[in-house]
Amino acid sequence: MKGNLKTLILILVALAILIPLASNSPDGLEKVAETLQIEEGEPLWKGLMEDYTLPNVENPYLSTLIAGIIGVLLVLAAAYLAGLAITRKDKQQPQSPTEPKKI
Amino acid sequence: MHIPDSFLIPPEICALMYAISLAFLIWSWKKAKATYTRSFAPILAMSSAFVFAAQMINFPIVYGTSGHLVGAIFLAALLGPHMAILGMTIVLMIQALVFADGGLLTFGANVFNMAVIGGISFFIVKPLATHQKTSHFLAGIFAASWLAVILGALACGIEVGFSPLFAEAGGTAVTVPAMLFWHTIIGLIEAIITTTILSQLHRLQPTLLFGITAFRGNPIERKP
Repeated sequence: MKGNLKTLILILVALAILIPLASNSPDGLEKVAETLQIEEGEPLWKGLMEDYTLPNVENPYLSTLIAGIIGVLLVLAAAYLAGLAITRKDKQQPQSPTEPKKI
Repeated sequence: MHIPDSFLIPPEICALMYAISLAFLIWSWKKAKATYTRSFAPILAMSSAFVFAAQMINFPIVYGTSGHLVGAIFLAALLGPHMAILGMTIVLMIQALVFADGGLLTFGANVFNMAVIGGISFFIVKPLATHQKTSHFLAGIFAASWLAVILGALACGIEVGFSPLFAEAGGTAVTVPAMLFWHTIIGLIEAIITTTILSQLHRLQPTLLFGITAFRGNPIERKP
């Protein structure tokens, strides 16, 4: 538990440091579309925080950082719940991650 | 590599990709249920959260283009290919639902390109992972990470080529080479980042790399 909290803090600190350094250039797929002069239309669903920004936070760094933190926590929660759903209960002898079973 | 809905991929293609991805998800789910106990849930949660954060950081490559980590091979090395497919799908789901990164109709295609192909690509590590030498499996990780991005880009190029928007510009004959060109470079960076992180994790906490130990059938020996 304590180790997990450390890892989470490490991820968030790394995110806070790296966000300003991230490139704003189009990614591979966007670049292909751009080269072919394809205009991206309106999305079907705009999400709650489109383009990883909060709609009502003016500072772009804070806006992306908060969106990122919310995203990390959402993924954490969703993946944990999924993790419980896709695994079986520890019966008899608990099997730790260090005792692997052949896939 | 997230395909937005506005690229207007034909509905038949979207439905087909949903069906293929769903089949792989069910397979992964069954395999995961048979292999893993509840003690894996925190590792799945933490590593998926890491992948989400890593995907937010675009690194510049050349000619005003950027790329970001996909992270499927990272997840697979930690958790095995089946759980990696499920973890990547969670990341893509939050991205699509909350951040509109990747469309809803194209969600099946995105899951296939990044999660399913990532999980499948990890299997090329298997013959190398059985060697006890660290350099062998790290070479496997490097190759798998690069391959996962290349194959994902290939699939993405084909899917996008079916869109009437792109068909006008030449269809798959144009989109596939263009996607492969950029992702050859992006994949190389993906491979470097993934191999670096995993080699450090292997040095510090070798038992964490369950995806590798599962292929070996025995835990990695901790170095003195």
